[in-house]
Amino acid sequence: MTPALRSFEAQWRGRAADPLSQVRRQAMEHFMRLGIPTLRDESWRYTDLRSLAAQSFVDAPQDAMLGGATHAAPLLNSAEGALTVLMINGRPVLPDAPFSESNSLSISTLRELSRIDPTLLARHLEPLSDAEQQRWSLLNTALFVDGLYLKVTGKLAAPLLILHVSAGASAATVSYPRVIIEVAPGASATIVEQHVSQGELAPLCNSTTRIELHEDAELEHYRVFLSGSEATHIDSLDVRQDRGSRCKQFTIVLGGGLVRTTLDSQLSRPGASLDSYSLLVGHESRHADCVNIATHAAPDTRSRQTARAIAGGTSRVVFNSKVVVGKGAMHADSQQSFRGLLLSPKAEIDSRPQLEIHADEVKCAHGSTTGRLDPNMLFYMLSRGLDRQTAQSLLVFAFLADVLTGVSVPAARSAMESALITQLPDSQLLRNFR
Amino acid sequence: MLKISNLSARVAGKEILKGVDLSVNAGEVHAVMGPNGSGKSTLAQVLAGREDYEVTGGSVSFEGRDLLAMAPEERARAGLFLGFQYPVEIPGVNNVYLLKAALNAKRKAAGEPEVDAYEFLALIREKMKFMHMSETFLTRGVNEGFSGGEKKRNEVLQMLVLEPKLAILDETDSGLDIDALKVVADGINSLRDPARAVVLVTHYQRLLDYIVPDQVHVLSGGRILKSGDKSLALELERRGYDWVQAAQGA
Repeated sequence: MTPALRSFEAQWRGRAADPLSQVRRQAMEHFMRLGIPTLRDESWRYTDLRSLAAQSFVDAPQDAMLGGATHAAPLLNSAEGALTVLMINGRPVLPDAPFSESNSLSISTLRELSRIDPTLLARHLEPLSDAEQQRWSLLNTALFVDGLYLKVTGKLAAPLLILHVSAGASAATVSYPRVIIEVAPGASATIVEQHVSQGELAPLCNSTTRIELHEDAELEHYRVFLSGSEATHIDSLDVRQDRGSRCKQFTIVLGGGLVRTTLDSQLSRPGASLDSYSLLVGHESRHADCVNIATHAAPDTRSRQTARAIAGGTSRVVFNSKVVVGKGAMHADSQQSFRGLLLSPKAEIDSRPQLEIHADEVKCAHGSTTGRLDPNMLFYMLSRGLDRQTAQSLLVFAFLADVLTGVSVPAARSAMESALITQLPDSQLLRNFR
Repeated sequence: MLKISNLSARVAGKEILKGVDLSVNAGEVHAVMGPNGSGKSTLAQVLAGREDYEVTGGSVSFEGRDLLAMAPEERARAGLFLGFQYPVEIPGVNNVYLLKAALNAKRKAAGEPEVDAYEFLALIREKMKFMHMSETFLTRGVNEGFSGGEKKRNEVLQMLVLEPKLAILDETDSGLDIDALKVVADGINSLRDPARAVVLVTHYQRLLDYIVPDQVHVLSGGRILKSGDKSLALELERRGYDWVQAAQGA
């Protein structure tokens, strides 16, 4: 057994019993059987976790207070009308004053929910699909200490920001943030999850978010990774969509040393529609691995997977996308589009679009290209007198920012463009253009 | 202003220019005409500094400087402008940003301060009006979704803002209807000045009904075969290019 597995097991043994013990035990046993993935596991063949497996982790301090600077400022603030919930190492810090929109939104901690309605909570903890993709959320299920349950019951006008802060007091701490978002029939919301880290330590964050969209519900959801270059982040996002529901999902990886994200979406009823956008920035020696799975389990469902990635320095960016059209999912309509841009000869981009169709009469398209900057565009800009560095920076920014054109909250779009610029080479130069 | 001597160049391993000689003085307008594949566009691109076009011989001086030794952006800042035959679409880079950056690069090279944002917008609006361009231009990406005619107008707009000493316009007239052709010609004529020069690369003589050239050259098979005044263009229109080639034994 690897040191990491041993330390996870030690954490498990140290947990006090709670109303969820049975669900948690099953999850823990399942995770221990699967173990930490290796390069031999199909969906992990590009991400090497050996150094993670060799470490021993302890719980990140639950009583950590915010002191010192985080690696990024909040993307939204109350001046823009945003509601903010802070989560420090997975522990929610609920605002003292009730939200003005409290009739459209109820917020509780998972501790509370496990006392009040353990059946509801247990239902939201069940794995949505096969365990292969779910092993890290199994570990999260077993070990999360607290978390956040959001139920949207009306049309939420202001965006909601969940600011996740990883704050370690020593090296090799781990936290297990857990968020459950349920959007009631016909309700709608915009929710931004932003992950930042604090300090120069190398925390591991194993976060899981479950989204359930009921009939005709609508959600715009963001997860934005802005941790420091030493942080390791494994994030699992499961989405289940009922009849006529619409989900717009943005996965934006700008920071972190090693970031692995999974989006596993189930279009369970007719008319469900998913637009997912991924923006992956690899620079220095960072590693980003993004898995995006859309499962069409009902007729007349629709999915779009749009991804843009750049890789500079010695970074590596991986994008695995998969569309599964189940038996009987007639008239499923899917599109996968990936474009990668290599900025350095030592960087690497791997993309694998996959398609698995078990139904007739479906419309599934996919495209994937990786290359260098378009020499025609570059020459055009040079011929206008721009220096090469400026021209290249503008082209890189334009290539990536394309994904952000779908962001419907102007403040969020502008904040994400700024965050993007900060992570790009020549950020000062790009700022002059705004 | 521009002196091209015995210039030869290769594109993708193929010899396209085979000893071009051409001199252009300040205040002049020259038309370079020729059949398809004669090397007209290659000449324009080589002068602007396209890197995948390999110069294999000859020399080019621009205002006494060795043009071929300069990077494309240096040529632009020194006052050379290429109007592209196929202007490139650059989604995500705003038209105004590009133009402002271009103007500031030129001003910086000349030791001048950056342009004031208000003055710049006023300048752009004035030139846009002159070129009959719609307001939506201001918010769009460079040439993004532009029609062929809009792209050509945008090339001329950029030229008017940058006020180059030497403008090389590569088939700026092609694909334009008659109204757009007049607008483009007015734009080019407005730049005529004793201190500037224009080289029009064109396939047809109809542009020359609106812009009267001082000299007309026939480029064919990678060399200038014949030069003359405006009447040469009319003769080419009437008789085609074959007779020039035949007369040269080409």
